[in-house]
Amino acid sequence: MKKILSVTLGLVFVLLAFSQAALAIPAFARKYGYNCNNCHVAFPKLNDWGQRFRDNGYQTPGQAGYEKTVFETGIPIALRTNAGYSMYDGGEGMVSGFHLYNLDLLAAGVLHKNISFLFVYTPRVDEPAADFTGPGNGDNPAQLAAIESANVVFSNIIRDKLNLRVGRFEPGFQLLSSKRNYYILQPFEFYGFVGSRNGFDFSANHIGVEATGRFKPGLKYALGFINGSGANPDNNRFADLYFALSKTFGKGEGQSAGQRFGVFGYLGWQPADPGAPILSPLGDAAGLDNKTFYRLGGDISLNWKTLNLQAMAFRGVDDMAFNDLDPTTDYAFWGGVAQLDCACLANNRLVGSLMYNWVRPPSADSIGKIDAYSALVRYYLGSWSAVNVALHAEYTHRLVGSVLPFKEDLFTLLLDFDF
Amino acid sequence: MGRKFNLFVLCVCLLAAGSIAISASTDQKAPPLTRLNVQVLGPQRLGPLPPVIVPPGNPQSSAKIHLGKELYFDARLSADGTVSCATCHNPALGWSDEGPTSKGIHGQLGGRRAPPVSNAAYAPLQFWDGRSPSLEDQAKGPIQNPIEMGNTHQAMIQTIDRISGYIEEFREVFGEGPITVDQVADAIAAFERTVVTTDSKFDRYARGDHQALTALEKEGLEIFNGKGHCTSCHWGPYFSDGRFHNLGVPAKDPKNPDKGRYDVTKDPRDMGAFKTPTVRDAARRAPYLHDGSEKTLESLIDFYDRGGGKDANLDPLMVPLGLAKHEKTALVAFIKALDSLNPEVADVKPIAPGDFHK
Repeated sequence: MKKILSVTLGLVFVLLAFSQAALAIPAFARKYGYNCNNCHVAFPKLNDWGQRFRDNGYQTPGQAGYEKTVFETGIPIALRTNAGYSMYDGGEGMVSGFHLYNLDLLAAGVLHKNISFLFVYTPRVDEPAADFTGPGNGDNPAQLAAIESANVVFSNIIRDKLNLRVGRFEPGFQLLSSKRNYYILQPFEFYGFVGSRNGFDFSANHIGVEATGRFKPGLKYALGFINGSGANPDNNRFADLYFALSKTFGKGEGQSAGQRFGVFGYLGWQPADPGAPILSPLGDAAGLDNKTFYRLGGDISLNWKTLNLQAMAFRGVDDMAFNDLDPTTDYAFWGGVAQLDCACLANNRLVGSLMYNWVRPPSADSIGKIDAYSALVRYYLGSWSAVNVALHAEYTHRLVGSVLPFKEDLFTLLLDFDF
Repeated sequence: MGRKFNLFVLCVCLLAAGSIAISASTDQKAPPLTRLNVQVLGPQRLGPLPPVIVPPGNPQSSAKIHLGKELYFDARLSADGTVSCATCHNPALGWSDEGPTSKGIHGQLGGRRAPPVSNAAYAPLQFWDGRSPSLEDQAKGPIQNPIEMGNTHQAMIQTIDRISGYIEEFREVFGEGPITVDQVADAIAAFERTVVTTDSKFDRYARGDHQALTALEKEGLEIFNGKGHCTSCHWGPYFSDGRFHNLGVPAKDPKNPDKGRYDVTKDPRDMGAFKTPTVRDAARRAPYLHDGSEKTLESLIDFYDRGGGKDANLDPLMVPLGLAKHEKTALVAFIKALDSLNPEVADVKPIAPGDFHK
């Protein structure tokens, strides 16, 4: 207990010292002079205004053409990182320590009227992962080096009814954004769940092209063709396809106002043979080794005053060729999340949240079942123009497997910082 | 595969080219409000106003400003000598009037509220619908508007020509020659360019006096620039983007709604859109909105908190705000901190009837 107290006090001291020195600002807020709550309920969760700004290709809604381009403004670079202290108990006693959890380098801006870009690079972080599974020797780093996003957006091709996003991007079928969720260590379990030999990662950013748009009142769509992701670069002859459709009742986008209901579907092809060579035009051009899988689900986002309840679930079905446990049937599973957020105090300085994740694999899979119960509190130390420093406490109790489930507890106190 | 891929790349390129072409063609037929006469988005930080830009064709002089002030307060510019500029743009009422809409000659009611004259020198376009590009041009409009001053320019000049004091002053300011309506407008505009806020509690704070705002006012500033989305439109030192937005204000006559900016541009996207007024001195000029339909700052903030009204052309910037009661209180406190402390804005006394030229 003494240790926790001293660590907490130490962190608060560092935060306060640091907050005085925080002068830099994130790319968009720096451009406009806003503070973060103009676009975020509380960083990083977008509010309705921020959602429209994103949908409009990082241009002020309804104001395309008045934007300064990146050539007329400062260098549009931002950084997000978080570091803190974790205590983890996986049934063999508690371990604890300081961690640097991740680091994102972002650049984004308008290149020309209705043409904008987003680039996010995550460098390799050779630190133990939050749950201490990483030995820190480089075999299991806390973060892999990757280009998380690199896309160009062509907005308002047909008014707000057609926009195109090309490159690597967060696809529209992720009706709840895992990238802009308050939780830093606890992911949406079902997004990243891989139960069969199909290595498709629902939560990843994908490479391809996506058309989005909206129809009044409150009806939005997304249609995409992407590579997908998996055991190899997925250069098969088939692009994966998806759609997403959402309708918001009332004003707003369902992020911070209005009641949103959405559905989506994803159809993909993956090589069933994990030992197959990288498929390319020179390899299995016919794609004979590819087998199908799909995800089909929906989401809701309900708002009442400062409360936001969002939930999402999908049915995932992978071809039996992926199913090592029972090759006579498809590998079918359910997964979902329900999250209740509350933002309070002036300018949403204080955020509290409860989240429940679940995954229900087929009965043959005795270790795939997941239940995770999470809670967090975030307090934003300031409401500066385009600087965010949040003190973040997050706890998760996780049960894995259906028979004598493996139990994990993870508590983290960290500093979430971006500028 | 190769052919399909090439086709796909071609489609993307065509769409991109189309997007650029569409944007280029839009620029060519842009309405008067262009990138050239309004600050483009970003950076748009709130701060003290810069010095007023004086047009080269109408330089300021103390004699001209004095003449303009006299004309501004002189009801003889109207057809029956009852309505002056100050009747609807009254310094004591935040350079507007008591509303909800303005009352002109013979007690006729206009459809819109008088926009404030204070700091109007910073507006890229004048009137709620932006039909006028300058203060000089604007000043001529109400004189011959049948429900405002109800006069003609010719009759107004004839009236001034009969007042010896004015004749002397015009000669001093503009030199020899007949008095013209352009000279009248230039003088009034010159006076209006002195009605600017260089000092308010907020301006003192922005210049580095951190004690100038109370804790509640500072909280209001945070909300103004954050959760309240106020700076989406009310940005920069002028606290206005100078543009036009449809807030979904319910039409008083649904069969004949005020079309706002559309009447100027005929662009359907401008239907029901009105110019963003400055927030400076807003606390002094209730009621609010172009038709004065919101009686108090509190009810105005409630209107925005609901995401405005209902309209097919509602501006996408309008979203519900989810403001708590104490956040609304803080916003009101901050808006009051924008009240001008300049005597030339806050304490201008009208010219007494007996002091006008005979």
